[in-house]
Amino acid sequence: MFDPTSVPAGMTRRHFMSHLASTTLALPAMSFVNSLEAHAAAGRKTNKSCILLWMSGGPSHMDTWDLKPESEKNGGEFKPIATSAPGVMISEHLPTVAKNFKHLNVLRSLDSREGNHDRGTYVMHTGYIPNPTVVHPSFGSVCSYELGERLQNFDLPHYISISTPAMGAGFLGMTHAPFMVQNPNAPISNMKPPSGVDDMRMNRRLNMLSMVEHNFIQSKRGGMPGDHKAVYAKTVRMMSSQYNRAFKIEEEPAAVREAYGKGGFGSACLMARRLVEMGVTFVEIGLGGWDTHTDNFKKLSTDLLPQLDKGMGTLVGDLAQRGLIDTTMVVWMGEFGRTPRINQNAGRDHWPKGWSIVMGGAGMSGGHAIGATDKDGMEIVDRPLGIMDVVATMTKAMGIDLATQYTTPRGRPYKIVDDGKPIPELFS
Amino acid sequence: MRAGFRGWSKGVSALILAVLAPAVVGFAARGVPADDEPAPKAEAAAAADSKAVSSKSKGKPDYLDKMIQEAWEASSVKSSRVAADAEFLRRIYLDMLGRIPNVQEASSFLGAKDPNKRVKLVEHLLNHPDYAKNFATIWTVTLIGRGNQGRMVDRGALTGWLRQQFSANRSWRDIAFDLIDAKGSNKENGAANFVLSHLEFDKAPLTSISTRVFLGLQIQCTQCHDHPSNDWKQTHFWGINAFLKGIRSRDVNKPNATGADVYDHTEVFDEPTDSFASFDRRNGLVGIAFPTFLDGRKISQGTDVDRRAELAKFITQDNADFDRAFVNRMWAHFFGRGFVHPVDDFGAHNPPSNPELLDKLAADFKASGYDIKALIRWITTSQAYNLTSMSTPQNDKDDTLYSHMALKPMTPEQLFESLITATAAHKAGGGGDDNKRRDEWMKQFLFTFGNDEGEESTSFQGTIPQALMMMNGELMAKAVGGQPGSFLASVLEQAQLQRRQPLDQFIINHLFLAALSRLPSSAELNKAREFLRFNPEPNPIPVMEDLFWALLNSNEFVLNH
Repeated sequence: MFDPTSVPAGMTRRHFMSHLASTTLALPAMSFVNSLEAHAAAGRKTNKSCILLWMSGGPSHMDTWDLKPESEKNGGEFKPIATSAPGVMISEHLPTVAKNFKHLNVLRSLDSREGNHDRGTYVMHTGYIPNPTVVHPSFGSVCSYELGERLQNFDLPHYISISTPAMGAGFLGMTHAPFMVQNPNAPISNMKPPSGVDDMRMNRRLNMLSMVEHNFIQSKRGGMPGDHKAVYAKTVRMMSSQYNRAFKIEEEPAAVREAYGKGGFGSACLMARRLVEMGVTFVEIGLGGWDTHTDNFKKLSTDLLPQLDKGMGTLVGDLAQRGLIDTTMVVWMGEFGRTPRINQNAGRDHWPKGWSIVMGGAGMSGGHAIGATDKDGMEIVDRPLGIMDVVATMTKAMGIDLATQYTTPRGRPYKIVDDGKPIPELFS
Repeated sequence: MRAGFRGWSKGVSALILAVLAPAVVGFAARGVPADDEPAPKAEAAAAADSKAVSSKSKGKPDYLDKMIQEAWEASSVKSSRVAADAEFLRRIYLDMLGRIPNVQEASSFLGAKDPNKRVKLVEHLLNHPDYAKNFATIWTVTLIGRGNQGRMVDRGALTGWLRQQFSANRSWRDIAFDLIDAKGSNKENGAANFVLSHLEFDKAPLTSISTRVFLGLQIQCTQCHDHPSNDWKQTHFWGINAFLKGIRSRDVNKPNATGADVYDHTEVFDEPTDSFASFDRRNGLVGIAFPTFLDGRKISQGTDVDRRAELAKFITQDNADFDRAFVNRMWAHFFGRGFVHPVDDFGAHNPPSNPELLDKLAADFKASGYDIKALIRWITTSQAYNLTSMSTPQNDKDDTLYSHMALKPMTPEQLFESLITATAAHKAGGGGDDNKRRDEWMKQFLFTFGNDEGEESTSFQGTIPQALMMMNGELMAKAVGGQPGSFLASVLEQAQLQRRQPLDQFIINHLFLAALSRLPSSAELNKAREFLRFNPEPNPIPVMEDLFWALLNSNEFVLNH
């Protein structure tokens, strides 16, 4: 059992530090042994968190959440099955997710308008279409800024991405950009100082660094020099923290590892659970390979859906069992859906018009299917949703004020939610 | 003494220990000689420097500075002062050679009294071997990205080809034509690797990158639907795509040394075709397109034309979009921001900051015969390029009119080359192929999406993984270490052989010069000396390593200013 309160006592300060304190070199900026005080604040997690499952390439909603068995031309090869949510049917290749679907909701009528990977990724992460005059923050960065910053003495980054670069913080600055874990099955690179560099030397290095950085920050060159210092401060905090055990999924029992799946996606889901359990605000997990212009059904049934089912299904079940689902939102999406029409290569192409995403937890009620497309999946026939409705729903679930507004560096107003409405059924 | 130093010329290190340890306190008391002040007084430098730029702006169009100034006046913005020599020096090395200057290069420029030294430096750098290497690296990334493009794509051959083009200063129009039209063996004709790396998915990626890179136009989202915010339609995308329909590639085997038949290279060729591109419309119908350029010009629909050569002509000949796209890209490279930003998103929805200047420069670039070095000369000798990156209350809100230089975070390639330059890490690391080492090093930051656009991203600039790598990575550990052949070891040796400066001051000065291309301020020098004085251990080398580490990890190092 992973218990953040039982961390062993940390490193001790060397006599060097007290010696240093009597000289002009005692700069307060960063210290490599700050984890001592931090543990006091660690307790039961009460803050809200989000785990975003990002299906890179554009996932086929027609073969996952919105099957059309009645459609001769567009139906495809898969059969729908019942779930723990009465009346909601999903793909036969997602049995574990189906078992836990009472915690989740499917939104089947999203028109996100952007059918290009770049633009789709942007719009689904920020709620906005790309605009040359401003770089919008991703929703993860907004959560880091709004919620993460409120946590006292928290050593880990508030926004962590696993197997995906996710999306940056835009004008909120580099300190709210995601910390990317390239491979959840490998140790995080460069987490420790090289051999020969002990605490005393690391502190001396950081003191010297402060001296140089301070002068450059003072020289009126905009925000980047200060951002650099802030990112280093975060990095040093994480390096020296006992919390970074959360990245060590190898501490989990073999049965748990097995249940999540030991591949990249399963391991990432397990790491995400450990991270939110520790108090990380936003975790994004990437599962790539969904750009199925060819061999859609084979790729889905033999590779993508089995991985997704184990990882996502086990994650939702585990969160529920641990009581974490009440404070943790799980969202499944990609840059767009895929065409109802099956092309000549047994593939489906890009389709941002009338596709599905899944979300639940963090106080939302579960088991709903919102909106619908027609028999062939071509047109939305009920409750058309725009991306801002999705953002509004997520914002509300995370407990962030829907009216939150920032001013961009160019002095223009930016609203987290611009003209969107939370889906009422999920909050009743 | 640390393991790393064991066995290393005991004589020298013992001598340093003997000389340095008792001596540091004494040295500190002597104060700092005047010639070690970091920069001359600001006003004096500005006066000398502005003369340096304007007195010999060979070939620079006279309207350039004037039109930039007019834009400042129109927006009530006042420019910052001219950058001090050290600031300019570091900037122009990074921009032109892709690395910081080494200690010798920095010292000789900073010490020179010639009022024309900036203009002379530009000429020197234009003819430096690293100039072609740098732009070849930049354009390789622009054309095929950083990731592994698969067995068929010979990255080295493309970079080599580009290097030859930039080294010979071939006209940009010819380079672009040859890239678009490249045929034959990808080993013999490195340009062919550009086409080869974008062939999948009916050449949709090649369609989108060709228009983005050469024309600055984003038509890729019209693949599936008409553009929501400008005039591009689906037929524009597929009309360009139809020019590319005939492209084919085949692997060619050859007997190797032992006579076995193995893969040797890939060949690109065009099959004459009369086919059209077909695409799904949003309304569910299927559209078709024959080769049609963006302005509506068409070519024969038969098999009698080389479609790709025709497209190369449309793109590169008498096409103002083509001229503007390159000028804007080059301007953005040097200023951190193009007149049009992002560089590849021209259109009515995204107007340029200085539209007339862009048009005039584009026209003159064309008139010069697409002379890349001339364009670089104009840009680097402009008043705006020579300004400091320090803002003033009269311009700190401006980020589009070039009233002060923008900060440009180093690219991964620049950072790698600069670390190698600052620390002589290639000598300490046992040599080997630099390109290969750089590519290996790059991999830790690279993420490939694996989608039909072949997109990738780096988790690099300004992120925690970058900070972790800079703080704790192997390259940095090797770079700052005092092992034999290292920069630090050679500075220690040189320090012994000179009598002009106190030992500790000589070393500190050299570490600052190597990392930041400037001397320490007297406050910085004094603080660095205090670190040496309060070293709790007898061996001073770890303190020097730690100082070098701090300089290389600083914001000043990694932000090209």
